[in-house]
Parts: sequence; C-alpha cells; structure tokens
Amino acid sequence: MKLRETNVGRSIFRSPDRKTERDRAAGHWSSFLLHIYPVKVRREELHFRYSWYLGVASTVLLASLVVSGVYLMFFYVPSPTTAYGDMQTIQTEVAFGQFIRNVHRWSAHLMVITVAAHMARVFYRGAYKPPREFNWVIGVFLLILTLLLSFTGYLLPWDQLAYWAVTVGTSMADFVPFIGGSAREVLVGGDQVGAATLIRFYVLHVALLPLIMVAFLLVHLWRWRKDAMLDQERPGMGLGPHAGEEGGVGAPPGSGKQGGGE
Amino acid sequence: MSDTDPREVEGKRLLGIVPGQPATGERKVPEEQDLVTVWPHLLVRHAVVGVAVLLFVLILGILFDAPLREVANPFETPNPEKAPWYFAALQELLSHFHPLVAGVLVPGAVIVGMIALPYIDRNPAARPALRKVAVVVFTSFLVVWILLTLIGFAFRGENWGWVWPWDEWHGEL
Amino acid sequence: MDRRRFLSVGWKLGAVAIGCAGAWTSWDLLRPLPGSGLGGLIKTVPPDEVPAHTTIYVRSAQTYLTRIEDEIVALWQKCPHLGCRVAWCEGSGEFECPCHGSTFNRAGEVRSGPAPRGMDRFVVAETDGVIQVDTGTVVRGQPAGSPESIDEPPRDGSC
Repeated sequence: MKLRETNVGRSIFRSPDRKTERDRAAGHWSSFLLHIYPVKVRREELHFRYSWYLGVASTVLLASLVVSGVYLMFFYVPSPTTAYGDMQTIQTEVAFGQFIRNVHRWSAHLMVITVAAHMARVFYRGAYKPPREFNWVIGVFLLILTLLLSFTGYLLPWDQLAYWAVTVGTSMADFVPFIGGSAREVLVGGDQVGAATLIRFYVLHVALLPLIMVAFLLVHLWRWRKDAMLDQERPGMGLGPHAGEEGGVGAPPGSGKQGGGE
Repeated sequence: MSDTDPREVEGKRLLGIVPGQPATGERKVPEEQDLVTVWPHLLVRHAVVGVAVLLFVLILGILFDAPLREVANPFETPNPEKAPWYFAALQELLSHFHPLVAGVLVPGAVIVGMIALPYIDRNPAARPALRKVAVVVFTSFLVVWILLTLIGFAFRGENWGWVWPWDEWHGEL
Repeated sequence: MDRRRFLSVGWKLGAVAIGCAGAWTSWDLLRPLPGSGLGGLIKTVPPDEVPAHTTIYVRSAQTYLTRIEDEIVALWQKCPHLGCRVAWCEGSGEFECPCHGSTFNRAGEVRSGPAPRGMDRFVVAETDGVIQVDTGTVVRGQPAGSPESIDEPPRDGSC
C-alpha cells in the first residue's frame, strides 16, 4: 500500500490520488516544499538553451555553501591569534576538513560565475523587460551580495592572500567623497586591518549578509513564480499595460483568482 | 456593480467590466499558451541540474586544494599582491586611473547602470536581432570586463608589471 | 491640512525618523574607539644612525627613516594609493609598491604609477638623544605631479 493512500499519508499530503493532471496540480498546490514553484510553466522554459539552468545552479551552490560553511564554523574562531591555526587544524586534523574547505571555496568561485552568467543570459533573453524589471533589479542586488559574501569570506583564513586583498579592497572606500573615510573606519574598525576587522567581516560573512541574501533570494523566486506563465513578445501578453493583472485583457485563462492554482 | 448581478447585456451574462473595453462584441481571445506542469517536467530537470552541479563541486573539492599561504603579516606585502579574481578587473583599472575614478565612479556607474537598465531600455522586443543597440552596448561592456579580469588575473606579475602567463604564473584562486 | 492627511504624513515621518536614529546609532557604535590605531610616540634610533642616501626601517612605527637635506624624515610604509606596504628597493633607490606598481623617490614623492599623492609622513622630534616618531600625527604627502625636492634619478635594478 502506498504511503499517500494511508490515513497518515493523506494527513501529510492532503491531495487526491494522482489520476489526472488536475490531481497532480492539486497535489503541487497543497505542498509546502513546492510552493516556491508555479504549477505550470511555458514549455520553452524546459529547454536547456532557454536559461542554461544557471539560476538553479546558483541556488544549489548557495545551498552547498551554507552546508559546508556551517561545518567549517564548528572549527573556526575569528581572532588573529587563532584563525590561521584553526585553518591549519581544519586542513590536517578535522575529519574531511580539507575537503569541506575545498568545496566551500570552489562553490563560492563557481557561484560568482554562475550568478554573473545568469545575468548575462537573462539580458540576452530580454527577460528583464516589463513586467519583470523589478526582478532584474533584485538580481543586481543578489550579484552584489554574492561578491560581498565572497570578499568578506576571503579575509577569514587570515593568510597573506587574505590580509592584503582586504587591505586593498577596503582602502578603495577612502576615495568615496564625504563619507569614504569613516565608511572605511567602520568597515575595518581601525586604521589598518586587524582583530576588529576580522570579527566584523566574520559577522558579516556568517550572519548579516546571508540573511539579507536569503531575503532577497526569496523575493527573487517569488517574482519568478508569479511571472512564470507570462509570455513575451505577444500582443496583449506580458507586455501590454494590463498584462498580468487579474481580469485584464490578455491575461491567460486561468491566471484569475480561481484558476491556475495560483 | 449592483447586487442584481449577474445581469444580462445583449443576451450575454455580464461578469465584469474592464475600463475602456466594450462589454460585448469583439473581445480579444488570448492565444492558448503551451504550458506544461512543473511537476514532473521542470522539477525533474532541476533535480538533475542540481545533482550535476553538486557532483561537479564535490569532484573539484577532491581534485584541488584551496590555497592557504603564510600567516598574515602586516610588515610584508606579497609581490605581486592580487585581489580575488572577480575584482581583478577593478584592480587593473586601479593601476591606470585615479582611485576616485577606477575604485568609485566606474563601479558605481556599472551598478547604477545595471539597476537602471530595464527602465532605460524600453524597447519591448526580446529577440537580440530587434534590439541591436542594447546588445552591442552590453556585449562590449562584457568583453572589456572579461578582458580586464583576464589581464589582472593572469598577465600581471611583480610590481603589477606585464608578464606572459606561460612564462610566469601569478594567478591565485 | 486636515486630520487624515496629517496622520498619514505623520506616521511615515515617524518611521523615517526612527530609521535614521537607528542607522546613526549603529554607525556611531561601529566607529573604532579612539587610540585603536597605531597612535602614540614611538622611540626609534639616535639621529646619527639615520642615513642620507638610503633608508632604515623601524618596524614598531611602520616607518622608513631617511635624511633629506640634513633633515630627518619619517615616511609611513602605507601606500597612499590603496594601503599596501611600500618596500624600499636598494637597487633602484626608490620605494616600490607591489600592489599597483607606484614608485616614489627617497623623499616619498610620486615618480610613477597610480598613487594620487606622495607617501605620508609622521612628525619627528629628537628627545634624549633618540628620534621620536609621532604616529598620531600624519602629514599627507604632496599630490602627484609636484616637482621632486631631491635630484636622485632611479638607478638600474628595480626589485
């Protein structure tokens, strides 16, 4: 007997047996995990050449970064006296430490590439055009956040590579008119990169920036889900003044209140 | 609408009124879209891509070790000193122009330009052939940025002097 | 202004005010405490140990000491461009920055590269027979393009 046909299964999935496509849509609609997806998408979105699946790749890399990053946090103390030693311990003594660190590092580099490539692909597809302008703007912020996360993480090993790259990076702030000098001081926590900088970058890297990142990502996905069925370059669909509004002319059948599973 | 709904107009049931549109007569019938259900069509593909990406990262992690140089030393700047590769283009710019230009104005303009892009480019066409200006501008920016990144990452050696990557390698990930 | 409009504008202004107060407070909390930098007077070497045609490095003050026209000058190691440590190169008789290739002459004036001004100096004074460097007082270098105060062309043999 299948789990979803038992009393317990029904209480979990709350969906009818999958007999028709409508049942399947209903099951999708009542699933918490699937609610970040629309119920239906345009067929062309399935093709590899449509998106190259770069958005999915970026999201998966973010997940890999969160998992490997949390593992590394168990073995790392952000202080100039301990940080470098902890890195050596991670690489030599911690079980799978070197491997997890590698995965974290390469995921971060790859994520910068996939996020940038995702933006380029969206540009050439013209997918930033109305009504998707605002999602593009959120995407720009996500790219900036990716770079900031990479940069703050770069300091944490406290080796020569880290120390001087961050010295150069933060010194750039000095040249911003009016607020530059104090912005650099707030970021660095002193005249030069030191203990205060390390703890600041650590907090930014493991708490503040990831939270902001996830918040922006959720809005990004939500906008994608809302717009997933809107077509482009068709009169009255996706480009007209009433496109996407409920009941507006050109709204596809089923995008209203009752239909479409929305 | 009053509470006598639904009412009939010219023999048709009136369900709603869209401003500027006739209640009866010729209405645009939207083209039927070619839609597929996300489960299973899109989800299966996403799962495959996700597993493939993870596998790729795991293999990279087994094959290559992340670099760790000597402990940070404020009295010794390594030569050459390189920013992470994604800032190599900026560092290359910084070696040519005043920091206010290369470190603040250029990146600021790039970010503002990217954010403003969908509001500047109001051409509704999606196909690249119908929006040559946007495509040319964006592509040239992309090419310049990738070139600068490559130069800063691989073609710079001691004191930020020019080197050929096959003679001396100074790139570090 | 009627009551409805007053309330509508009022709560928005209130929210903005709270936001500004929060931002200002956090900004101020995150400013480094005074004296957290290098700071203070640092005793170095007797004046006659400071050379005239080369430099000596004082690690505790992160400073190069040299003599320009019989006057002792303390040059901070931090590159005025982006903060890398500028190294003295005996071979060329110049300061060279490894990050973006700026070069400075022995007096810390810009010769080439992207540095916007010469190397910063500290105020020096002689007390009890040793040179004291006041790392709390930074004198900013001359802007790039100013004429050089010493005539020492670079030698061959850059580092």
